[in-house]
This record gives sequence, C-alpha cells and structure tokens, in this order.
Amino acid sequence: MNPSEIKRFSIKFGGESGQGINSLGEILAKALKNSGYKIFGYREYPSLIRGGYASYQIDIANDSINSSSQFCDILVCSSRRSVYQYLRDLRPHGLLIHTLTAVSFKPEEQEFIKLNNIRVKYIDALTLAKEQGGNALMSNMILLGALSEIVGLDLAAVEHIVSEQFADKPKLLEIDLKCLKVGHELNIADYPLTYIKHEGWHESKIITGNHAIALGAISAGARAYYSYPMTPASSILTYLAETSHESGMLVKQAEDEITAAQMTLGSMHMGTRAFTGTSGGGFDLMTETISLAGIIETPIVLVLAQRPGPATGLPTWTSAGDLNLAIHAGHGEFPRIVLSASDFESAYSLIQHAFDLAEKFQTAVVLLTEKQIAEGLYNVKDLPQDLEINRYLLTDNGQTEKAGLRRYEFTEDGISPRWLPGSDLPQYNANGDEHDEIGDVNEEALNAKLIAKKRMKKIELIKQTFPEPILYGDNDVDITFVGWGSVKPVVNDIRNLLSQNNSDLKINYLHYDYLFPLKTEKLLEILKTAERPVLIENNYLGQLGHLITAETGFKFNEKLLKYDGRPFFIEDILNFINSSTNG
Amino acid sequence: MGSLCNTYFENENVSLKDYYSENIYTWCTNCGNYGIAAATKRALVAENIVPKDTFMCFDIGCNGNGSDKIGGYRLHGLHGRVIPVATGAALANRKMTVIASGGDGATLSEGIGHLVHAIRSNYNITFLMHNNCNYGLTTGQASASTRPGIPMNSSPDGTTADTMNFMNFVLSLGASFAARTFSGNVDQMTEVIRAGIRHIGFSVVEILQNCPTYNKDTTHEWYQNRVYDTIELNDFDNTNLDSALNISKDMSERIATGILYVNPNSVPFDQRLENRKGYTTELVDEVKSYNNVSQELFSRFV
Repeated sequence: MNPSEIKRFSIKFGGESGQGINSLGEILAKALKNSGYKIFGYREYPSLIRGGYASYQIDIANDSINSSSQFCDILVCSSRRSVYQYLRDLRPHGLLIHTLTAVSFKPEEQEFIKLNNIRVKYIDALTLAKEQGGNALMSNMILLGALSEIVGLDLAAVEHIVSEQFADKPKLLEIDLKCLKVGHELNIADYPLTYIKHEGWHESKIITGNHAIALGAISAGARAYYSYPMTPASSILTYLAETSHESGMLVKQAEDEITAAQMTLGSMHMGTRAFTGTSGGGFDLMTETISLAGIIETPIVLVLAQRPGPATGLPTWTSAGDLNLAIHAGHGEFPRIVLSASDFESAYSLIQHAFDLAEKFQTAVVLLTEKQIAEGLYNVKDLPQDLEINRYLLTDNGQTEKAGLRRYEFTEDGISPRWLPGSDLPQYNANGDEHDEIGDVNEEALNAKLIAKKRMKKIELIKQTFPEPILYGDNDVDITFVGWGSVKPVVNDIRNLLSQNNSDLKINYLHYDYLFPLKTEKLLEILKTAERPVLIENNYLGQLGHLITAETGFKFNEKLLKYDGRPFFIEDILNFINSSTNG
Repeated sequence: MGSLCNTYFENENVSLKDYYSENIYTWCTNCGNYGIAAATKRALVAENIVPKDTFMCFDIGCNGNGSDKIGGYRLHGLHGRVIPVATGAALANRKMTVIASGGDGATLSEGIGHLVHAIRSNYNITFLMHNNCNYGLTTGQASASTRPGIPMNSSPDGTTADTMNFMNFVLSLGASFAARTFSGNVDQMTEVIRAGIRHIGFSVVEILQNCPTYNKDTTHEWYQNRVYDTIELNDFDNTNLDSALNISKDMSERIATGILYVNPNSVPFDQRLENRKGYTTELVDEVKSYNNVSQELFSRFV
C-alpha cells in the first residue's frame, strides 16, 4: 500500500508559541468532532513561551483513529518559520494558507511547491481582523472562518465552540464572530471533506491521555496527588488541582520530586490511595523512595511520563526511552511492577490496575506514559469500565485476633498480611533496615536470606497474575510487530488501513501493557511461527527487545526504532513495510 | 517545669509499659538518646495517647536505631527524608499523632529543603531534631552544626564551612512552634515534647544532645554549664518572634532552652486547603467515597 492511498485528511496549523495555535486547533477539532467526524489531535511545541515554531495537527478518518500522519493536506501558517518547518509536510495538491504580507519563498521551497502542485493562498488576516475591531490574535478567527468554508464545515459548528469558549468576554466574542464570518466569506479554495459523519458523535469528547490518568486515578480512589511540575506530566497536576473542589483530592505541588515521592509513600503507608507523577529527570530523584517501598513493602504508584533524555533532552517531545529506568530504578533487589499506557483507554484503566497491583503485592508500581499519550488529543465517547476497588487488608474482613500476627510474615507466596497504622492489631515497624517478621532490625545471615526470598517470591506471583500481551490481528500474517506504548494505535491504524485497502500484505501486532516482570509464554508461541517478527519502539536501543532477549534468548533481526523526539507517524510504518517487502 | 508528674508513667488510657519494647538498646553508654527515648514515651503517656494512635517516623542515624525500641506504629525511612514521609502520613490520617525524628547530619544537609518547606506549609507534626553536632552513626564526621576548629573524622583540621545555628535558622523561617531542650534534662524535654504534640502546626523541637563517643567538644557537662530555661526569665514573651530570634543566637555562653516561640495564630496545612473545608473524614476513609466524580468531570469536556 502506497502512502498516497491513505484514507485520511489532515489539517495542520503552524506558527510561533504565543500566537494562539493551540486554541485555533482545539476549536476546529471540536467543531469537526461535533459535526460527526472522527479525529485525532497532535501538538508539537518548543520548550519556550514565545517564538520558535509550534503546530497543531488534526487527522480525520472514517473510523476511530489514534495516530497522526506525518503529512497534511492543508497547512495554515502564521509565521515564516513555520512555513519553512512544515511546508514539506504537505501532500501533493495540498493547500498552503499563510498570513505573511511579504513572503519570498526560497528556490527549494518554490521547487517543492511546483513539483507537488501545492496551492498557495495568502490571507491578510490581520488587516481583516482589524477592520472588524479585532487584534492580532483575532486574525485566527479569520483563518478559522476561511478554513470551515474550505472544508465545507457548517460555520455554525465553529461559532458554537467559539461562543462557548469566550462566553465570559461578550465584547470580544462579538468581534470574534464577525471575524469568523468575514473569513468564511473569503471563499479561497475547495477541499470538501468526504469522510463519514457519525451519528451522535457530537457527544464524544476531545481529551488528553493525562486527563485519562487523572480521571482514572479519581475513579481508583486516589485521595492525594503530590508532584513537582515537569513536562509532560505537569498537566496531571494542573487538572487535578483545577478539579480538586469537585473531587476533594489533596493536591500538593511539592518542593521537589523526592518530597513528592516520600509524601506519596507516607500517605499510602497510612492507608489512603495517593500517587505521584513526573518525567525522567524527576523520576531519577524518586528512585531511593522506590527502593524504600521495596523493603518496607508499602504500595506506591508513580507515573513516569517519558520525554527524550538524557538530562533535559527534548523537554516537549516524545520518547519511550525510560523502560530501562523504570525496571532498574532503585538500589537493591526487590519486586516491582512496570505498566505502560498506550492510548486514552489504557491510561484510564491502567492507573486503576496500578493501585490494585501495588496494594495486592505491597510494592512499587510505575505507570509509563509518553508525551505523545500525555498530550495527545483523543476523540472518545465513554470512559472505560472501572476496576472494582480491593484493598487487600487483613482488616477488610474485620479481623481482631492479634495472636501470632506478623506484618512481614514469611508466607508461602511471599505476600504478608497488611494492616494500617491506627488499627487495633499489633503495631509494627516499617523498617528500611533489614528486619525480621515483625519489623525489628535483624542482620543475621539466615534472616537476611529468608526475608529477601520472601519478598522476591512475589515476582513469580505477579507474573502469574499478569495478563499475557495482546495480539491484534490474525495469526497467519506477513509481519508481526512487537512493541509497547504509543506505537500500539499507530500499528493498529495501519492494520485497519491495510485491510480497508484489501492489501495483500497482512500484519499483526503483539502489544505489552504489562511490561515487568515480563510474561513470555504467548510471545514465544507467536514467535515460533511468525514469518517476520519486527521489534518496534520509540527509542534507540530497543529496550523491550533487550528485555525479551534477556528473558528468552530471542533476538530480533529486524527493528523499527525511532528516537528523534517525534512519535511514529503512519507513514513511518507504511514506508518500513513497503521498503522491506519491495526490496 | 521540673516537678515530676504522675501522668508521665500512668494515665487514663495508657501507661509507660505500653510503649515498652523488649529489644535491647544499641546506643553508646551515656548517649543522649536514652533521655530522648524516655522523654518521648513520657510525653505520649502524659498526653494520654495510646500506641495504636501514634506514628513515629525515624530518619537514618543513631536516632533511627531506636525505631524498634519503642511501641507504637513506626516507620524507619531514608536519610534526610523523615519530614516528607511523616507529613504524607499525617495528612492521610489526622487522628494519628505523628512524630518525626532526625539528626543534625540528615536535617541540615540532605533534608534541609524539606525542613524549610515543612515550616512554610506548617504540617501538623512534631519534629524532634537530635542535634549532637556530628554524624554519629558514620563515626564522627563534621555536620553543619559542628563548631569550627574541632578535628573530626574526615576533617582533621576542623570543618571548613561555617557553623549553623539550627534554632535561629528555624525561627528565621517563622516556624509556628520552636523549642530547644537538652538531652540531659528529661523533665524539660518531656514538657517541651508534650507542648509540641499539642501544638497545631509544625512543631520543631531541637534537642541539644551529647555524643559521648565522637563529640568531645560540646559534651554533656559543656551543655550542663551553659543551658538555662527561658521560663525562669521575667521578661521573655515566647509569642514574640523577634525576642525568640534574639535569644536563640547565643550557642556558646548562655544557651536558651524551653519553648522559645509559639505562634498563637498557627493555621496548619490541612486547614489551609480550601477544597477540603467542611470535610470531616480522613483521606484514609475516603478511598471508596468519591469514585463517581470522574463521570461528572468527563461529561464537562467538549
């Protein structure tokens, strides 16, 4: 299948940070969604407040989609830099709209425009906006109006969103609406949308992965969130703080990530549900707390929102490069659990499972996510089913018998009875020094061996509890992709595109949500017969591949790895399939 | 202060033996920790707090080696981190009496950021700062409170950084409760800890503690000759922050002890949370109570 056969329409807004690109994209996305189109939104922006280049892309398709195209059909640019940055992302016969009074295209840009039959349209948006009494930001309304006319979108749908968004500023709203109308009357080109409009789809929402984590945590009964701002985790903190009057959650911006992790551990130890979230650099500071949770067997849940490192790296871009960090964080040997979100639904559900697993196995759970998921704009209709809350406490069934109770009892399966401070049952010491069954310090060789064994036994039990990785697609296919995280929706979108196009080439995808400890039974079974297994990861090393090799000895001959801060676009995978099957 | 109170040993709901542990102490002979442990137990009994309602958090250091020599629920955590872990616990269940202990090594170095922000946030816990002016458990290195010119392990020519006055530092941040006491005066220590427990807010108790093995400079006798109780002063007002700052400065000639400052208008962190006003439940009770809020919040998205 050729990328030109992709049945998708993409609109990209480009400009500088501070030009209102984001709200421009958001308004159009919501208007499209309200008109019945299924969409996916993707934002790129630099780590600065003013300048640079930023974009908001909306992909439209017949079916639900959760991935972006690298290319677009309409590019709307409000800055010279963004034209330079994104022009080559236009598909043949695409449309470039810009607002630059005196733009001179470079020879290579002119050539690209000519070769690809790009149509270039200039809109003097600022002058038009000023004529309506508006300012520079309101030129965005001119563009929105023009765009809705170009794609054949009912102007009323856009007006509705704008009216809602600016309801508290009636004077400005009046000008905004005038600008929309003026833009709509420009009539500069026709690119009518030919995609299916879905009945009742206006009820769906446009919402990010971080919202999914926040809402999922509320459903899981999280009553406290301690965090230190760091992209791309910050919007969890922002949203939970904004909704704290409704949820009653204690939301605390801590003085650093060490504090955030320690307060979380303290609250969990006392018996509520609490969590923390950060990105790689902040997570580095939390690792000693994870180690402590390991030995005192107190549950803790940490969200690790990945972006490219090392160090500050690419703060506002995406990566799945911290699997190794998550599975190795913290000194000493202790069981831990690593899960990974891949889209809105999994983020909402997995944060609930994270609490459940943390309390069930009395240890640390890291939920990985990526900038692409954290800030990706998903178009979803309903929240997934909630997980029933179980606390796995000895006192759940009203136990009052104290005799023989030992908090760190050497049990058969490694899980010791847990009860909370404040309970009438025997008081214990949660001791970060090696300890005996009641928590008293103990440095004897035999005890050290027995309690280490007790804790490590949980690994096997966790593995047994974990679901196997999910296989998407049929068994008998040409290429089997194996991956985790945000690659899932991209590969699955490709799978759908291939079958819609009745392509001869068939692919399936084996996906890991539950990454560590790694389950390998189903993987090995599939690998036994797989024609061409391909590892796909958003990192340089192929970290899941290394983990699979370490666990099974299996080595992937083929790897599709991307580590440039960008997510996988559908073209990346199509090109891989095409180049490898043709050559 | 000074008169022995019967409720130190036996109270309505609790007596000293309820906090007893059969584990044998591992501190040096004549260590200040014996007095601190005794005063802590007495204070809890005098306040009629039963062990199951007590949550004691211990930092790393000689204080932490007492974590399994006392009753009550306990957590022995990481170096420098006792304040955040204790505050996280205290916020989750405000019915518990939370006491955090840490030494000068941990508190004035790795943990100093936590101290500063805990004072700002005024979390309702009691913090016992064991100040023996050195790192005891790692065998006698200089801490931020070690005095100049004293040869220490790893600084044989004396420390090269200036000495910190802990109490003065804490007061400069406007702590809502700041007391200083001496490990050799168990009665005063008991009363000061009691007041710290009763105070609603972040109660800082600095305990000037001798370290018989590694600190040959500020010994038990050295303190004994210098400490005085501010309660004996005629004109000292411990609700006046400036007076407290002033009186806390002298750490070499006449060392002021007792409750140096109490803010009568202390508002603890949990009462500052606008969104928690009107809640009568504790976070530990609420895990299954607000789960349906997500649906409502989700419905607000466009």
